[in-house]
Amino acid sequence: MALAAGLMLSLNSCMDDYDEPNTDGYLITSPESLGEVNYSIAELKNDNASLFSQTNAFEQVKEDKIIEGVVAANDCGGNLYQTLLIRHIDESKPEGDADRDQAIVLGVKHTWLTPYFQLGQRVKVNLKGLYIGCYSKLPKIGQPYYTSSGNLRLGPVLLQLCATNVELVGQPNPDCAECQPIALSPEWLRATANRNYLNYPQLVSVTGTIQEADGEAIFAPESLQDAGYGVDRTLVNSVNNTKVTIRTSTQNDIAFTVMPEGEHTYTGLLSYYSNWQIQLRSVSDIQ
Amino acid sequence: MKKGVKLTAAALLMASGAWAQAPADTLQLSDNTDFTFTESQLDEDNDAAQTVSTIVGAKSDPYNSEVGYLFSPMRFKVRAYDNQYSNYYMNGLQLNDLELGRFGYSMVGGMNDATRNQEGLSAYDYNRTGLAGVGGATSVNTRASQFAQGSKLTLSGCNRNYVARGMFTHATGLLPSGWAFAGLVGYRWANEGVIEGTFYNSLSYFLSAEKRINEHHSLSLVTFGSPTERAQQGASTEEAYWLANSHYYNPNWGYQNGEKRNARVVNDFEPTAILTWDWKIDDTKKLTTAAGFKYSMYSSTALGWSGDAYDPRPDYYKNMPSSIFDVWDPAKNNPDYLAQNPFLLEQYYDLVDYWRASEANQQINWDRMYFVNRQNEAAGGETLYYQERRHNDQMVFALNSAFSHDLNRWGKYTVGLSLNSTKGMHYKTMADLLGGTTYTDIDKFAANDYGINSIEAQNDLRNPNRQIGVDDKFGYNYNIFVNKARAYGLYEVNRGKMNYRLSAFAEGTTMEREGLMQNGRAPENSYGKSGQAKFLGGGGRLGLTYRPSGAHILSLNLGAESNAPLARNSFVAPRMQNNFVDNLTNEDIYTAEASYQFRLGDFSGKVTGYYTRFNNGVEQTAFYNDQEERFTYLTMTNVNREHYGVEAALKYNLTSNFSVNLTGTYAEAQYVNNPLAQVAYEGMNASTLKTLNTWKNPVTGQQMPLCVVADGMRVNGTPLTAISLGLNYNVNGWFFEANLNYYDRVYVDFSEYRRLGNVLPYYVSEGFDDKGNYLFQNVNADDLAKGAVLYDAQDGHIVSAYSAEQEKFDGGFMLDLSIGRYIRLAKGKSISINLSVQNVTNNRNLRTGGYEQNRDDFYNTGVAKAYTFSKNSKYYYANAFNAFLNVGFKF
Repeated sequence: MALAAGLMLSLNSCMDDYDEPNTDGYLITSPESLGEVNYSIAELKNDNASLFSQTNAFEQVKEDKIIEGVVAANDCGGNLYQTLLIRHIDESKPEGDADRDQAIVLGVKHTWLTPYFQLGQRVKVNLKGLYIGCYSKLPKIGQPYYTSSGNLRLGPVLLQLCATNVELVGQPNPDCAECQPIALSPEWLRATANRNYLNYPQLVSVTGTIQEADGEAIFAPESLQDAGYGVDRTLVNSVNNTKVTIRTSTQNDIAFTVMPEGEHTYTGLLSYYSNWQIQLRSVSDIQ
Repeated sequence: MKKGVKLTAAALLMASGAWAQAPADTLQLSDNTDFTFTESQLDEDNDAAQTVSTIVGAKSDPYNSEVGYLFSPMRFKVRAYDNQYSNYYMNGLQLNDLELGRFGYSMVGGMNDATRNQEGLSAYDYNRTGLAGVGGATSVNTRASQFAQGSKLTLSGCNRNYVARGMFTHATGLLPSGWAFAGLVGYRWANEGVIEGTFYNSLSYFLSAEKRINEHHSLSLVTFGSPTERAQQGASTEEAYWLANSHYYNPNWGYQNGEKRNARVVNDFEPTAILTWDWKIDDTKKLTTAAGFKYSMYSSTALGWSGDAYDPRPDYYKNMPSSIFDVWDPAKNNPDYLAQNPFLLEQYYDLVDYWRASEANQQINWDRMYFVNRQNEAAGGETLYYQERRHNDQMVFALNSAFSHDLNRWGKYTVGLSLNSTKGMHYKTMADLLGGTTYTDIDKFAANDYGINSIEAQNDLRNPNRQIGVDDKFGYNYNIFVNKARAYGLYEVNRGKMNYRLSAFAEGTTMEREGLMQNGRAPENSYGKSGQAKFLGGGGRLGLTYRPSGAHILSLNLGAESNAPLARNSFVAPRMQNNFVDNLTNEDIYTAEASYQFRLGDFSGKVTGYYTRFNNGVEQTAFYNDQEERFTYLTMTNVNREHYGVEAALKYNLTSNFSVNLTGTYAEAQYVNNPLAQVAYEGMNASTLKTLNTWKNPVTGQQMPLCVVADGMRVNGTPLTAISLGLNYNVNGWFFEANLNYYDRVYVDFSEYRRLGNVLPYYVSEGFDDKGNYLFQNVNADDLAKGAVLYDAQDGHIVSAYSAEQEKFDGGFMLDLSIGRYIRLAKGKSISINLSVQNVTNNRNLRTGGYEQNRDDFYNTGVAKAYTFSKNSKYYYANAFNAFLNVGFKF
């Protein structure tokens, strides 16, 4: 018995034992520079105005066009899905110039992108080989795919392509200008001239009262979900009664949050289809 | 390192402590199959030679004595019976696990030289130990006095799960004092086994002491164990094998810090003790009483991740190139379509290139999980990826007492009583937070469905939002108590040319769950005891043998029995709640076989035909449901199966030392009805679960009992056709053996989920043709092959139900050779050398098993998914060329 015990103690030690890895500097994006930025989101939209004016369309970029921007919205709250809002403010352009502050969605085929693309992270994207266009009018960088309804749409980019087409620049700064939402006024929301691709996607804040809020109802109960697994709520502005849709998916913390009564400010990703719509990033976007 | 040492030392102390307090205790064994594995996976980690089910080497039966060894590379199961239908006895005590029904050979792993003295028994053989299962029994005698006096050192090298093995055995023989002692210490090891990313680390000990008190009484005590740590191989899809350029690709491992780490590691230690009292009352009467105790500690690790984190498995379907477009659809996989959709091939090859760019891309990315956890915590979140350890521990007390009496020259009988009390302890602990520090014990899937602040999200309402650290229990924690008492008798008469054997048993079984956590999805029926379910069973067998001459033997055997369901199948969702499965009943088994055995000069053999019917069986599968992204239980009740076929073993002696053998079987084993089904998701509460188990008639709108359309499905994981042509030659201490084996009709483990009545597509009749047959013009043969339920348009009755076709694997040949030499030395010493080589021709395309993915091919919209799950089953392949060199030195 003593022999057996001794042998066991000496021989049967654990083989399933590993040192923890150092993950400082871990990247899923390109470890090397993609090169100098030679294009902007504003140029991209201006050069492809007809493309971005459509509802669903896309085309492939053939040249090395490198844009930059800051991650202003991601899936940190589980509400945005496979979506990064890339926003760039060109300080050289004057205030009021439409080209000064532009944003576009970069779709990435992966869940939980936040650890790799934190809010405030500046990125460069080489568009070569990727597709640009619109998904339900939303300007987007992605790759085509067939939806569950069998429709051809502009979907997300394969995560694997981030290693060749995306570069992180510096450290994330959530306090940067790109992470500050644009406060939309009731007048701005009402003006039909604003309903164009140059104004969305964008990180915005809107103030109003949620029509369905009764002190008990939550944002997105499963019983109300539509075919897109989301629930729309109506945010009404008290000044001129403009309405903005707040769209929330049914499986995240926002979904189960009780909608606050009264007037509040909501921050999120702005889009336009048949009406203005925002998608909150997380519960903290409710103020 | 510290953990492993602790475990071993603790187990030793415990085992010896148990002996000190209760000298008359011993064991019951189990392979502790993790409940999350499918049937196909249950035996994947055992040595191939040890996975052979049913009786080992029934010496009187030329078929059963050969097939275990012959067909082991293909994980052959005799008559396609599950291991639960075979019994394993040691020194008179049955060691099958009461929860799983099976005996796990890992329990006696690495102690081959201590368990060699064994006898194979068919279901109808008379024996003095106990009743064999319908699949037979193996009875091992490890009493110390039965070991040959002396020492033996065995050294082995191979390229299998382990690469080196050593065993040292010493036996005193029966000493003048009446004592006999025998012991064995063994070790098996592989830093990396033949499958990449696996390792093996196993120590074995076996100690036996016997005291012949006088000519009537003898006491024997054996204790043994085999603390083992081993990393597992996983099955994968053919596409993954193609991308990795190997049928032995293992998705279970990945690099961490540049070192290979396996996500699925088993730790197994089942210290056991058996005390046997042999009382020879007189020359015709004998009473053998054995008592045993076992405390097994089994755990298996697995990756866990929260609902938002990306699935970390490298062969997750969204990582596969074929997830881009349906490569199986000729309408899409053709030049014209792809020219119109060039982005499909672009993305397809992007993924192909990624897979092939480096080996690391094909494996688990541990560093990424650490990175995500650290990032998430830095942002105020929690650990998203972790490694959990699922424990299936067990404490067993067992007793068997058998009285045998040789009545006269013709007749003898044995009567006995066996008792078994088993406590299964099932829980999981946090094995590794993978760089994180914070984890709250809530169910992430329920949190998504009901909200993170909901009652449903809590895994234990008595300890809500408990913070979990490494080694803490979380998720689930429950005990299963099973008690079984059996009385049995066997009777044999030899009269002239006739031999009659009669056996019968009656047994009672109770089972009960005790929840140690109050689950938020089942707050009223998860904590505390479930109440006992009680089952009465019994049965009998009759064997008749007629020997018209010494050269011919005819046998007819019949049996009928009713057995309690297994505890592992009896609870709707055992990790979550106490409810028993609906329609839980005994399984009834009817058996019949006839055989003819002959010897005509140099030609001898045996041919057997058999038929076995299993009625009202209960089967449960538990799996991560990709479709619903939830851990799922699916239980089938009222399962009926038929097993029938022909077995033959023929031998022709060309000379006295050279023979030719032909051994084989052609079997059928299939489901013959559509069993009732019950589905449970772990993340759902009772009211939501209720909606899962509905099957709405599309014509009448009425609810129908949910069932699995399984009629015609074959039993999986074993070749139903296996034939061997062998040559045996021995001369001057040398022996040579060559076997050319052919295997065919291995079937994939079918997904019950995909064949649920409410998951299968349905079609409604469109009138009748001229002959009055139903018209289903919108259905073609391809549709039916994918499974379909056809309804009458008038009253909604089911005209017919088609199960989705079950894949049959390609057959193939395997050549096995062995050569051995026995050298007798002076003073009773000897050396034996044996080299066995399997799969000499290196056939790497023989599938031993596999299982379908539990997900269907269509979105809720009815549109086909790009990834065709029905075409992407996961497979296991028989080992490539492998060799086993064994050298034994007796001194």
